[in-house]
Amino acid sequence: MGKIHKDWGASLILLLPGLLLLGAFIFLPLVQTIVWSLFRQEVFGGPQRFIGLSNFSEIWADSTFWVALINNIQFGVLSVVLQVGMGLVLAALLDRGVRRLKVFYRTVIFAPIVVSTAAIGLLWSLFLDPNIGPIQDWLSMLGLPHPRNGILGEPDTALYGVIFVGAWQYTGFMMVILLAGMQSIPEELYEAARMDGCKNIRAFFNITLPLIRNVIVTAILLTVISAFKVFDLVYVLTNGGPGTATEVLASYIFRNAFEFSNIGYANAMSVVFLGIALAFGFVQHRLTRRW
Amino acid sequence: MATNLFPKTRKLAFFMHLFLGAYAVMILFPLSWMFIGALKSQREMFTNPIGLPESPNWSKFAEAWDAGVRDYFLNSVIVSFFSVLLIVFISAMVAYALARMEFPFRRTLYLLIILCFAIPMHAVLVPVYVLLSETNLLNTHLGLILPYAAFGLPFSVILMYSFFYEFPSELEEAAKLDGCGPWRRLWYVVLPLSKPILVSVAIFNLVSVWNEFLLATIVMTSREVQTLPLGLVRFRDQYATDWPGMLAAITMGSLPLLIIFMLFQKYFVKSMAGMGK
Repeated sequence: MGKIHKDWGASLILLLPGLLLLGAFIFLPLVQTIVWSLFRQEVFGGPQRFIGLSNFSEIWADSTFWVALINNIQFGVLSVVLQVGMGLVLAALLDRGVRRLKVFYRTVIFAPIVVSTAAIGLLWSLFLDPNIGPIQDWLSMLGLPHPRNGILGEPDTALYGVIFVGAWQYTGFMMVILLAGMQSIPEELYEAARMDGCKNIRAFFNITLPLIRNVIVTAILLTVISAFKVFDLVYVLTNGGPGTATEVLASYIFRNAFEFSNIGYANAMSVVFLGIALAFGFVQHRLTRRW
Repeated sequence: MATNLFPKTRKLAFFMHLFLGAYAVMILFPLSWMFIGALKSQREMFTNPIGLPESPNWSKFAEAWDAGVRDYFLNSVIVSFFSVLLIVFISAMVAYALARMEFPFRRTLYLLIILCFAIPMHAVLVPVYVLLSETNLLNTHLGLILPYAAFGLPFSVILMYSFFYEFPSELEEAAKLDGCGPWRRLWYVVLPLSKPILVSVAIFNLVSVWNEFLLATIVMTSREVQTLPLGLVRFRDQYATDWPGMLAAITMGSLPLLIIFMLFQKYFVKSMAGMGK
């Protein structure tokens, strides 16, 4: 469609509120984060001392930073397996598997998305609690090992507990995205394939999967990006602990800025975080060519 | 009739339902445990963690409501309503200008908006906090509404841009001949015909704003202005051992959006599925 109006004044009025908001809350802070990462600052509003790239060499040597980064990576990889993997299975069953109860299953499986992650975290921290939660009883009933301090209370299992709760909440989201992709495949393709003797599970691998390739890539990227942004879940379930077992980048940045009075350092980590986010954004942009 | 993924035998259908049913139970069980737990006594939480309470005690809901859930709920309603309203209208204005108007740096602006979409709030937390503190917006509703609106814009603009771009321009041409300026064309011609995309954008942003936690934690430090997710977590810190009370509070905090979702689930699913396009 053509541009039907060449009126710079009117354009400016339409754009102004949006530009002001983006400028004040995204662009200006973006520049400030980068500039302030070169300074040392201990108190909000307090003095800033220029220290060049020292914050970044400190990050390089900071073992907690690396623990957090590796936790984020584990979070991303396992979430892709759990959420996109299970999401694919569920979507396939709803798309061309069962014929009854579809809306019921979809509604139930999707429902946790509309509940806040904070509330889900609170619910699961009680559900997994070694004293009042049922999980502990079930594990012992099944004769499985059950950590004395609960799954979230032991350094070896805490991260997996958090990843599981994340998957419990978000698998429905992935399912819905993948299902929408599957439903946009024209029925004729399946009919034609059936004429050629390709049906059932083979049709899934030869038709469904290749045709929703882009949707799968998007689902994987969305999952990985949100795994790098995870904060609420960790904050509510384990607060980064025990020790640093579930520390992630967002919680470590948050702690440095607002608990440890290490503001310049938090900004430097934000810059690293930003680099990761932009890299994923770039990959997403190139692979899906949505825009 | 749709061809099926699997051969149509009763046995296979049974196993598929078994799998989906088991998955649905895995979702529903913790949610019902939450609701039923709110009706139990403190002692029953230990002695009978899974079963039904002997005599359901409904008073915890009223107690939690009065102990703060009411205020958190109202704060969430105010913040979400105005954030979503701003996002919908401002992103429609920006997207319309991008899709229909000619102005310098149009292409650059579009690329900048895509760039903004990739920038998470997490990475600019400190400067945003400083800005809100310098403008005296900490602990005010506006202090959350404005940044939420800003961070909701990029994706909403992208969604609406692609909608407006494919929107036939004949109607607007006609309106233009009748002497309508761009503002009135957007308001009277385009927006009334864009309801599906407006609803999608509104729902998508409602879910993320209603549940936002990180920024709320640093902006809303005084109890009276806290939104639901934050309030519920503070509730735990305050009433650490009152488990039925906690569960009652979480149940009430989760219900509003769950009810809206049940009523309009078709629109929710469509809106969220749009993320994958």
